[in-house]
Formats: sequence, C-alpha cells, structure tokens
Amino acid sequence: MIKFEETVLKNGLKVIVHEDAATTMAAVNILYKVGSRDEDVQQTGFAHLFEHFMFEGSKNIPEFDTPLQNAGGENNAFTSTDITNYYDILPANNLETAFWLESDRMLSLAFDEESLNTQKNVVMEEFKEHYINQPYGDVWHKMCALAYKVHPYQWPVIGLNLQHIEQVKMQSAKDFFFKYYRPNNAVLVVGGNVKAAEVFALAEKWFGEIPSGEKITRNLPKEPIQNEERVLEVKADVPVHSIYKAYKIGTRNSADFYATDLLRDILSNGDSSRLYRQLVKEEKLFSSISAYGTDSIDEGLLLVEGKLSKDVSMDAAESAIEKVLYEMTQEKISADELEKVKNKIEAYMVFSEVNVLNRVMNLAYFEMLGNAADVNNEAEKYRAVTAEQMQAAAAKVFRKENCNTIRYFSNN
Amino acid sequence: MNRALAPEINLIDSISFPNVEQLKLDNGVPVYLLNEGVQDVVKIELMFKAGKWFESKNLIADFTNRMLREGTKNYSAKQIADTFDYYGANFNTSAGFETAGASLFSLTKHIDLLLPVFAEIFTESVFPENELNTILSNRKQRLSVDLKKNDFLANRNFLNALFGKNHPYGRVSEFEHFENIFVEDLKAFYKSYYSATNLTILVAGKFSPSLVDQLNKYFGSKNLLREVPAAPADYVIESSTELIHHTEKTDSVQSAIIIGNMSINKTHPDFLKLSVLNTVFGGYFGSRLMSNIREEKGYTYGIYSSFASYPHAGFIEIASEVGKDVRDATLKEIQHEINVLRTELIDAEELQVVKNYMCGKILRSIDGPLKFSETLKGLLIYNQDVTYIDQLLKTVREVTSEELLQLAQKYFDYDKMYKVTVG
Repeated sequence: MIKFEETVLKNGLKVIVHEDAATTMAAVNILYKVGSRDEDVQQTGFAHLFEHFMFEGSKNIPEFDTPLQNAGGENNAFTSTDITNYYDILPANNLETAFWLESDRMLSLAFDEESLNTQKNVVMEEFKEHYINQPYGDVWHKMCALAYKVHPYQWPVIGLNLQHIEQVKMQSAKDFFFKYYRPNNAVLVVGGNVKAAEVFALAEKWFGEIPSGEKITRNLPKEPIQNEERVLEVKADVPVHSIYKAYKIGTRNSADFYATDLLRDILSNGDSSRLYRQLVKEEKLFSSISAYGTDSIDEGLLLVEGKLSKDVSMDAAESAIEKVLYEMTQEKISADELEKVKNKIEAYMVFSEVNVLNRVMNLAYFEMLGNAADVNNEAEKYRAVTAEQMQAAAAKVFRKENCNTIRYFSNN
Repeated sequence: MNRALAPEINLIDSISFPNVEQLKLDNGVPVYLLNEGVQDVVKIELMFKAGKWFESKNLIADFTNRMLREGTKNYSAKQIADTFDYYGANFNTSAGFETAGASLFSLTKHIDLLLPVFAEIFTESVFPENELNTILSNRKQRLSVDLKKNDFLANRNFLNALFGKNHPYGRVSEFEHFENIFVEDLKAFYKSYYSATNLTILVAGKFSPSLVDQLNKYFGSKNLLREVPAAPADYVIESSTELIHHTEKTDSVQSAIIIGNMSINKTHPDFLKLSVLNTVFGGYFGSRLMSNIREEKGYTYGIYSSFASYPHAGFIEIASEVGKDVRDATLKEIQHEINVLRTELIDAEELQVVKNYMCGKILRSIDGPLKFSETLKGLLIYNQDVTYIDQLLKTVREVTSEELLQLAQKYFDYDKMYKVTVG
C-alpha cells in the first residue's frame, strides 16, 4: 500500500507526495504525457531525442546535471511510446535543488543550437549501438512495421532511421516543448523523507508561475483490426536462427488486460513456466525463449521470442510454440498454476515497492493512466482473474490471423 | 524570485549506518543480519569462496554454480522451479572471480516453507547429466551470439591481453571448453568449495528473529564442515607484449574500445583517493570523459572509466562504443584527458561537485536493507566491514587537488595502457 496526498496547481500541474521516513533520500519524478506515438511520421525518434535535449540547459540554468550532482543527487530519464519520464534522487535535505532544476526546464529551455547538434550525434550513436551494431538489432524495427500499418506504434521509440534524427530542426524542438512540456500535461510525484505540506509549498513556489499550455487532444489513427496472418522472413549474418511471434492485445484500459497479462506469466515467468519447461528443458527445441508485452496504452503486443537449438528447423520450432499457445485456448489453466502466477505478481509488486524511486514512478504512471490511487488496486485486480477469463483471453489473442511472425534465419 | 540562483546545498558530513547484527551459527558460519526493512520481504544470500580463482579448468566454477538449480537428492530441477515459482520467490545464482553463490528473494511470509529446498541446494546437489547437457548446448548457442558483439569481444581481448590465457582473470570461454565439462568435475568442485567452512550468509529485509534458528537448523550443523583445499598459489600473469590489439570488422558501424592496464586493488592505501580521481576522470555522468567525448563531441552514447578491483589484482579500464569514423579521434581525446589529469590541478569547483556527488552516492549505497546488503557483500569479499565506508566518506571529504595530481601521475599513463579495439 503506497500512501500519498495530492493537489493540482492552478496551471494544471498534478502534484503527488508520498512520505517515507525510512529513507534518507528524496525522489522526484516528472512524467510528461508525450511519447513516440505523438511524433510525425516524417520525424520519428523525436520524442526521445528531445528527452536528451532536456538536459542541455534551461532558461536560467546553463546545465542540468552538474547542480544536481553537486547536491549529491543522480538523475535519468526514459522515453516510451506513450510517456517521457524524468527522475532525480538526492539526499532529502537538498530536495529544493531538484525543484529549482525541474521547474526551470519546464518553464523554458535554453534552445541552444550547438547542444541540439551534439545530442543528435549522441542519439545516432545510441541508435547504432543498440539497433545496428548488434546481432538481430534490426528486428524491432521490422516487427513494429509488420504489426502496425497506420498507428504510430509502427516505428520504434528510437526512430525509423538515422536521417530522421539528423534532420531535426530547432523550430520542431520549440513547438514540441511548448505543446507537450506544459504543467497541464505533466505529473509531479515526490517521495521519500519529505513532508507533504512542504512539498506542496515548494511546488507552488517553483512551478506555480509556469503558464499552462493548450489542452492536448489526440487523434491518433486507429489501427484496423488485423485479420490476416503476417509473416516476414529475414536472412542475416547471425549465428543462430531466431523466431518472433507478436500477437495483438487490447489497450491498457481494456477489461481483459489482467487476464492477458497473466497469460504471459504462465508462458514465461520463471523456470517452471510453460515455454521454458516444455520447449527448452523437455523438447530442447530452443536454447532460450521468452514472452513479454509492450505494456502500451493503445493496442499493444504480446510477443514470444526464441532462439532455436542447433539443427532444429524453423517449422518445427514455430509449430512447437503454437502448440503451447493453442493449448491455453483449449484447456483451462489449473487452480495451482493460476495461484502460482498470482503469487508471482503479488511478490513482484511488493518487491517493486522496496525502492522509493519505483514507488514514485508507479504513482506517476497510474496517475497518467487515470488515477494514482489505482496503484494500490492492481494486486486485487490480478487476484480476481479466473481461469475461464484467461482461457477466453487466450482464445482472443492466440489466433493465426492475429499474429505477426518474423522468421529470422542465420545465413551462416 | 531569482531563478538563476541555486538553492543552498546541505553537505553530508556524517552518515548513520543501518544496524548490522553479526553472529555465528553453531558451526561457526558467519551471518550478517540487516533487519530494518519496511516491506515484508527477505533476501538470503549465501556466499562461498567458490569463484573462478579456485577452478582447475575453465568454466567449472561457472557451471557448478549454474547447475545448483538443476536437482538435489530430494528435489528434481522441476520441483525446485515449481516450489520457488509457486511462492513467488526469486532464486538467482552467480559466480565471479572470487566468490560464487546464490540468493533467494521471498515474501517474508513464505520463507520458512522455502528454506528446506533452498538449503538442500547447498548440501545435496546432484548435477544430473541430462540437465547439464541441455545447459551446455544452450550456453554454446549463447556464446555464438555473444561473439558477434563488439563490446563482448573487446572485453575478452582486453582481459586476455592483461592477464594471459592461463590466469583465471584472463581466461575466456571457447567452444572447446564446453566439451570438457563433466558431471564428475562439478561434483568434485561442489564438494570442495560449497561447504559450510567456506560460507558467509547475509540476510536482509524484514524478518522474525527466529529466522536465525532456521538458518542454524539448515546451515549450522558441524557435519557440514569440510576441509577446503588449499587456495591455489598465485597464478602467473602473462601480459601481452603488444599494447595495441585491433580486430577489424568491416560490417561494423561502431567500434568497441577498451583501454587500460594493471593497477592497484581495494587493499592498497591509495585506492580510496584514487576512486575520487577516477570519478573526476570517467566515473560518473558529469566526468571529464563524458563531458568531452559524449557531451561536447557526440562521438558516443557513453564512456566510462573504472578501477576494477579483485582480491588478487586490480586494473583500470576505460570503455566505450564509438562511431567507427571517430575511433582514432576518441583515442586521442582519451589521451588528451589523461595528460590534463597528469599535468593540471583539478579546480576547486569541479572537485567539490565530485565530492558532493560521491557523498550522495555513499548515502544511496546504504539506503534500505537490500541495497545495503549488496554494498556489504562487496566489502566482505575483502574482509572489510562498514568502517570502510566511513573511511571512504572521510577520504572524499578531505582529499586535495594536490594529492590527486600526484596520484594521476602515478596511476594514469596512456603510453603504458593496452588499447583494445573491435570494429
């Protein structure tokens, strides 16, 4: 149970405080409700590049990191398809330093041309390091394009290509900032050894005067319902055949989200999970296999990814995965196995609350989804899922015509 | 309100450590208890002196450790997995150069049920051959993928250049090594090194004092004591006579770089001050290497330096992945930053930022019992205790630019460093 207090400033900034006297630290998390799904198809990768740019100096402060480090703090950020999240963790008695820094970069950036160019280079190196200079590094680009035809999830957060990043102009950064980086489009959560009243006062002092922006209305193209099996075959200089199967699932707010999420745990959470036990340990068809979800707000994907054992054919490997998946549509999960995945989720949630930074991030995320208080209802929602609901969810998801497959062959 | 003016900073002058209770089981096994958690979770970590240092052929320490979850006298691999998973526990094994062991993360309410299985792993493992064969072939597949990664190759080549292939720190895994691992090797290694005589236990989280009785029941018997073979005499280090090791990869768009040479480890009196100097140079996001090579030049997504410390050796390592076209330019900049470090005093403002940053980092390293137990584990490997953290804090606060300049001249010499590049 994460306790918190909340308020909204006049400019629309949501402020949430979670007191925890057991730590000496304070964690400050600002979530901006903007991600790669808000990008123009001609300028993909922009939201993430912009995240880098946020550290390159603001209106009154030449650089973000040094003053925070000087206060004994550390910070970082990440961009997803749906959000951009910034966090600072520092000794609680230096909390105000984080307010000073975060509020100034919400007020306005320095918009320095040279820093933008440098960050373009840094991000292009990041792109190369993770998506080009890696075996199987291009697979996520291929999968997004295969699974999505009109929705912006058709490109990865890093961007479609290096050119899109290279061509970014300062004006885009300014427009993007003043549209999305406004207090009414952000959630501020502060946790740790702090007092709610003091945090609310600091929030008013530092963020209160920042003007609000326009109300954001999203008209993202809706991905049509997939009704044909899609298969892409790739041959590349990789040592081992690999297969990726991505099934469309509902939105984060859909009723069967929790049942679908537990399917993934049945498949691939722990050594006792079905894919590992049957296909790695018993049939020895794969040297590694896992299932994971994209955890996106709009219609997402549930993926199964495996590396084939030596001398196993792609057809045999693929049918084996399908057999495991289709079994879940035919047979109800036993009470024991259901209890297991629920216990796993319960433990995962308690462990994720050990760290105050995780707690504030979770509060911000659930507030973005609709209501911070929901963070405390998650365990119950998973507990309530029945075996029948999971079978129904499996039947809805694990269908050939709902699947996008990449057969990634080694040409060695 | 003047937004250009930074709020006043409070400096950290002292730290109060969470309480560590130290005791011994009936057979003498040392136990450290960090019982200050807020959440109802517990982590039990078993640490044996059973790392790579003690193996007689490559990968034995690694595979003995990896096979711990694959079956005991009373529980098959399947039953072990079922039990841990059913109660939502996480069981992790790991083997390093010096120590190897495992940890169990569990909700406190389930720990009594899990302990019998967890304990049997360390007293009655059986190393089934069929499970070993599966793990071996899967690990070969993984190696073949890793060998396609430039950073992986650079790291192998670097360790090899520094220590030579006959030293446990320099020996890397080759496919033929996997053919030479047999159940009997693992059983022998297990018997020699996974004994109570060789064990330290750390428990962190929020738990009942009666957990100690449980530990005594499972790990405290004198029957679990065994004679541990004499530690191997020091191995001969056969450093490469060539300083430059380049592997060309025509299809690469980036090069992995690792530069460094032998240095001191944690037991040396200069080490604490050197850790401050390293932070200035390349040890944090605001370091000189990052500021210059990432934030000014945009050559890389990241560049770091560290003084790797192991019980039998230490070395400095500067690592990055950079655009192939700026590989040489990056090396020049690293050389330049080393020269500056050796010839110019660090200015007061820069040093103060590093000091404050490091103090904050020390605070974070002891924040909460789980985090603190990781920090403590790192100290125990060197027979150190929490007073080491106090010494570090004191050093950070007191070290001067003049002292750091001397250390730079003593420990940073670009001309003597190995330059390993792949790509």
